[in-house]
Amino acid sequence: MTPRSIKIALFMIIATVPFLFVVVPISAFLIMSFWQMDGAQIVREFSVSNYVDFFTNDSYLRTFLNTLWLCSRVTAVGILIGYPIAWFIWKREKRAGSLLLLLFAMPLFMSYIVKIYTMRSILGLNGFLNKILVGVGILDTPSLVFLYNQTAILITMSVVFLPFAILPIYLSLDRIPQSLLHASADLGASSGVTFRHVVIPLSLPGTVAGALFVFILALGDFITPQMVGGPSGFTIGRVIWSQFGLAYNWPFGAAMGAVLFLLALLLIVAAAFAASRQKV
Amino acid sequence: MGVTLKAISKAYGAHKALSEISLDVSDGEFLTILGPSGSGKTTILRIVGGFTQPTAGRVWFGDDDITDVPTHKRPFNTVFQDYALFPHMTVEQNVGYGLKIKGIDRKTVRSKSTETLDIVGLGGFLDRYPAQLSGGQRQRVALARAIVCEPELILLDEPLAALDAEMRRQMQGFLKELQRNISTTFLFVTHDQEEAITMSDRIVVMDNGEIEQIGTPKEIYYSPKTPFVARFFGENNMIKSDFVDGQLRTPFGEIALPASINKSKRPVFAALRPEKLLFGAAKSTISIPSIVKEVIFIGSTTQLRACPLAAPDMVLIVKMASDPNQVLPKKGDQIDLGFNAQDLAIIEVTQ
Repeated sequence: MTPRSIKIALFMIIATVPFLFVVVPISAFLIMSFWQMDGAQIVREFSVSNYVDFFTNDSYLRTFLNTLWLCSRVTAVGILIGYPIAWFIWKREKRAGSLLLLLFAMPLFMSYIVKIYTMRSILGLNGFLNKILVGVGILDTPSLVFLYNQTAILITMSVVFLPFAILPIYLSLDRIPQSLLHASADLGASSGVTFRHVVIPLSLPGTVAGALFVFILALGDFITPQMVGGPSGFTIGRVIWSQFGLAYNWPFGAAMGAVLFLLALLLIVAAAFAASRQKV
Repeated sequence: MGVTLKAISKAYGAHKALSEISLDVSDGEFLTILGPSGSGKTTILRIVGGFTQPTAGRVWFGDDDITDVPTHKRPFNTVFQDYALFPHMTVEQNVGYGLKIKGIDRKTVRSKSTETLDIVGLGGFLDRYPAQLSGGQRQRVALARAIVCEPELILLDEPLAALDAEMRRQMQGFLKELQRNISTTFLFVTHDQEEAITMSDRIVVMDNGEIEQIGTPKEIYYSPKTPFVARFFGENNMIKSDFVDGQLRTPFGEIALPASINKSKRPVFAALRPEKLLFGAAKSTISIPSIVKEVIFIGSTTQLRACPLAAPDMVLIVKMASDPNQVLPKKGDQIDLGFNAQDLAIIEVTQ
């Protein structure tokens, strides 16, 4: 065997892993999204009827758009809270910073379900949040507004996905050489001006990555809406799950999943394109 | 207006980076701080620039104590060792940054940046990004960015260290000329003796957080005050000696010194530059019979190592211009080495 054919063989062997575990499943559900249900039977005939159904059905479409709006807000909250936290960690001494970062990354080591249950108990009628608000005197009696609605989903997702915003933002801040901040001050910029002209533009790639993480995770999340969203907390993730788990209309679920998948892919490609235009 | 450092100390925990440094930087001079790495030279620059605070002592600018003035309010600009160009800005934006922040109108910023870039020879690179430039070009952008704001003082932190030898020589000449043209004070930090000697009006030699000597390049080279300075600038023959009855007692005999030299210090090193030690020259006042140990051809110069007959453990270095027609002695030959007493620099031995 020549070295070249060994290389090709090696590549093929290594490539089977992503092929088997990524390409095959995605292709399978993409193909399935073009099939139909006939009673309880899947009909393996190509048709775009699932997509047509989805885009012409008012309630599905509204849920889809509502979900996009919800995810946008989760992303906005994640960045608006995550950026200051990442900045704060970055400004600490190395040791204190690492410790803080570890603290904020800690939720990543915990089970997702545990985190949601914790959030549910915090937001509930006898939860931590109500106790504090009543204790401080902002509320007279414990309120139900924090649980089983869209707001509850917003709060829970924002908290649960916060580390995914903090980490990439922190990494991009950490990559800014100290000398650039010195150079900016040296040229007469106060720390506020330096922040606007140097820190924000140079941490933009990490911020975009963080926003993408949060948005895409929120988009696909169907457990949080189910656990804390109550009847009014319907999201597209829950709809898709119900097509598989309740309605047993797998092709239709697959079609909605495909729409979600393509949207996420589009966002990633757009972000990558924007990043490639930056001369950093 | 000049910058004055008064008894500046800087400690990092238990480590003393600077101990009670006092220094005057006169208006319009090219002052170089020279020292090996860890000597505290960059710390001085950082304190003048306001990037770090001294543990003790004050920094004055003219009649103002600027020790507590933050970096962005000091009328100084810095050329950083890694250039510190903003990667997301074009060359023009980098150079115009300081002016833009001062609220100067866009047209003036543009014309001034362009003008300054022309001075450093980068007129055609306005729209490039730093990543698209070579090391030498980046260095020039950093320089342009520092001079465009017309600061009172320019701090240069080993700006030539990352350039190759040829580029460095070019930039040395360019920097010196630029400094003369814009008549701004340059505070230049380097570890390269040749760079310091060729560019500076005055040199501050530092070691271990202390100033060893301040002087013109010639003073530093020919009249070193400490053994460190004598050794730091190229090779030197360090002859350990004593004063006995007003005479310098060297391992190879006693030498009468000119009356102007203070003969009270002892013991001393008599430092003699290798190029001041002559081989086969008749006009020298003092002659040392020696045995040749080695003859090394270096190119433009030839080096000879020889041991005096009276002190066979000692090695004297002779440096002379290479001459293909000259018949050089061979290893083992006996020769006479000569020098003039006034070429000796007398340095107190400090330990």
